[in-house]
Amino acid sequence: MISIRDLSKDFDGIKALAGVTLSVGKGETFGLIGPNGAGKTTLIRILTGQTVPSGGDILLDGETVDPLEARYRLRIGLVPQEPAFYGRLTAHENLTLLAGLYGIDKGQITARVADLLSWVGLEEHTARQVRFFSRGMQQRLSLAMGLVHHPDLIYMDEPTSGLDPEARLSLWDLILRLAEEGRSIFLTTHNMEEADRICDRLAILIGGTLREEGTPQRIKGLLGTDRVEAMLLEDRSAVLEALCGRLGLSWKSEGDKVVISGPELADKLPEIASSLMGSVRNLHYREVTLEDAFLRFMREVKR
Amino acid sequence: MKGVKALILKDWKLIFRNRLLFAVLIIYPFIIMGVIGAAFGGVGRPVPIALVNLDSARPGETAWTGVETAAAEALERRFRRRAAQVSEYGSDSEAVAALSDGEVNSLMAVSAPGEAPLWLGADLSPEEISATLLDLSREADAWHEYASAEEAIASMEEGRDDVLFAVPEQDYPYLDESIWLDKENYDAYSLVSKFGQDVTDIEAYASEEKARDDLKRGRVDAVIVLPRGFVHSLKTLDEVAQVPVIIDQSNLVKAEFAETSIRGFLSRIKDGVVENKTEAVVAGLYVLVGGGDFFGTEVVGLDQIRENLLELKEALGDRPDLQEKVEVGIDLADTVIGDIEEAAAYLRGTALPIALEISSIAGRPLSAKDAVVPSLIALSILWTGVLCGAILMVIEDEEGMRIRLGLTEMGAFSLVGSKLLLATAVVFVQSAVMLALAVAVFGAFSSDILLSLLIIAAASFSCIGMGLVIAAFARQVAAAVILSVLVCFPLIFMTGVVFPLSQMPAFMQWIARAIPLTYAIEALAGVMLRGETVADVAWQLFVLIAFGVGLLTLGSLLVRRRST
Repeated sequence: MISIRDLSKDFDGIKALAGVTLSVGKGETFGLIGPNGAGKTTLIRILTGQTVPSGGDILLDGETVDPLEARYRLRIGLVPQEPAFYGRLTAHENLTLLAGLYGIDKGQITARVADLLSWVGLEEHTARQVRFFSRGMQQRLSLAMGLVHHPDLIYMDEPTSGLDPEARLSLWDLILRLAEEGRSIFLTTHNMEEADRICDRLAILIGGTLREEGTPQRIKGLLGTDRVEAMLLEDRSAVLEALCGRLGLSWKSEGDKVVISGPELADKLPEIASSLMGSVRNLHYREVTLEDAFLRFMREVKR
Repeated sequence: MKGVKALILKDWKLIFRNRLLFAVLIIYPFIIMGVIGAAFGGVGRPVPIALVNLDSARPGETAWTGVETAAAEALERRFRRRAAQVSEYGSDSEAVAALSDGEVNSLMAVSAPGEAPLWLGADLSPEEISATLLDLSREADAWHEYASAEEAIASMEEGRDDVLFAVPEQDYPYLDESIWLDKENYDAYSLVSKFGQDVTDIEAYASEEKARDDLKRGRVDAVIVLPRGFVHSLKTLDEVAQVPVIIDQSNLVKAEFAETSIRGFLSRIKDGVVENKTEAVVAGLYVLVGGGDFFGTEVVGLDQIRENLLELKEALGDRPDLQEKVEVGIDLADTVIGDIEEAAAYLRGTALPIALEISSIAGRPLSAKDAVVPSLIALSILWTGVLCGAILMVIEDEEGMRIRLGLTEMGAFSLVGSKLLLATAVVFVQSAVMLALAVAVFGAFSSDILLSLLIIAAASFSCIGMGLVIAAFARQVAAAVILSVLVCFPLIFMTGVVFPLSQMPAFMQWIARAIPLTYAIEALAGVMLRGETVADVAWQLFVLIAFGVGLLTLGSLLVRRRST
């Protein structure tokens, strides 16, 4: 649906983005992860017309567009990192104003606003000024405001940043429902669990450069595997050598523990446990997470 | 007190590293000091004064005098009696033509209720002209001098004057007289210029009308009209020299400066004249007592006569009857000497002064209440306009809504346009209510409310434009408020609200001309207090609208540029 080709941005000689190329398909949820200062917000700002890029193109359905053009603007929605609304207006008033500015037919505004409020679970709080909402409610309203005009593509800049776990789960649920409706979603996040659970595809942005791109599974596979960590009571090197050779695994010592890793480790866990029985103090199976993968990737980049 | 040093150091770093805080707390007071210092640095500058000298005969000109009197018929009779031959004219133009052609050297017009004025012409001797003028002054309830026939005739048509009297200026008595003061000889103009040179910057004007025009335009702070016979009355001291002074009371400080300066130097003239005269008279009286030269005649003084009488009394030691008669003479001399000393003291203590007839350019006396209203309204336009323009725009940033609004179907200038319309409505309604309250509740004067509202609207555009420019440099409402205050505060001192522009140094006056508020105050004061019309304030209106368009465009561009 949208493609970015060789997008770059310089701020007074500092490269915030250096030739970023990526695309988001129709109905796809695309996540951009990266450390602070990687250029994620700059990219979102360029894609929403708030910042002019130094170079590169943005293509909508294969055609180059200016983010300020109406044919692009009116097809995108935005959920900024900080909730954006008029605090002294009610949720209903905020949505009604925005619906009007998007040119939604007056007769349809009331129904559209009611639908959205119900969809984000704020139908019982329509008359309260938004500044009195909890952060989670505010972010749900922010999401509703980004959807008021039925956009095809929704940009979300760290949408769950600063939310408590319950509010985060509630927002994830809403984002997944959007994805089910076939909307394209482009989100940036620091939260690897969020990226793993929500996104169909991920890209890692570091120092303004796109380092990796693929499904969460691929990213995790690239940068790490599941492992078994065991604290042994005695030296069982010979047993470990034989076991790993037989199962196609590898092992190594890390301080006072041994670490076994390799493909399909979960299936081989019972055999590992029985082989080490009697000489093991404790044994942990650790599934690799996107966060592990990301941290390992960051360490490698720094090296 | 543990940790105080570290905390102080921390706070100083916080201030030093925050540009806004540093500017507000450390730099701004110096800016304010500079602005106020520069504005008030001109204190003591001479007050610009227009001097219209009617006490000078201009060949070919006619001296027109008008009086409001209940004795018009009596004055007409005396005129007829005084002249050997009197001509009657059917119209004012005929009469004026007769005077200018030299057929007669004096005209008198007497208004009759419900009828056209009666015009009389005659050839009068200088003594008869003086006597006629004396008649007029005795019978006048109010006395007016006019520079032209049109002015005088219009005044009679408006019912102001009951009798007009006109003579060629060269025949008008007491013009161009001079007076000796401090060993120098002065005519009216040089006298006022010399004594006023320390505190005023006097410029001669040929007509009162031109001088009033320049007073309205703020080129001079007051107009002094030296009446015909000004120097003559100083010389004779037989009547008060009435000096009309017109000041612009729409700015109280300016009016106060002008009036004080004028009173000051005219009072010095009066003191000098009176002192000279009284001293001469007192000296003469003392000659009568002490003997000596009395205006060219050697006089035996009363003291000497008394001495002689005392000697005579002694010499008549054996003639008590004669001694008694001499005693009466001595008592009489004592009484006369005492009376003369009393009279001298009285003369020293009393003198006919120069009286100022202070009037306002507004045509009516203005109170402080009247004068303060235009400035208050202008300040409220500045305050609300700048704050509204800045806050309404910055609120979009603070709420994070500018980005969202930018994605909608809203027009390119809808946001700025909506802010402008709302802010203008707020400023306009607020100022209109203030104006209505000032006029209706507090009884302040405003000669043209509709035109005042037009000026308010024009001024509000400029101030809202300033607010938009400020909005481009602030992201929070609090910062916008602080910046607005920082901008507005010095403007109050630079636009003549507090301190008259004429008293500021030239460069400050130039700066004031680059501030829209200056024009708003000028126009509002002109329309509300001086009865100016739309033609009079057209320039100010044009400048205000031009400033408004310029600042709104600049503000819009800056705001748009910052948001991308």
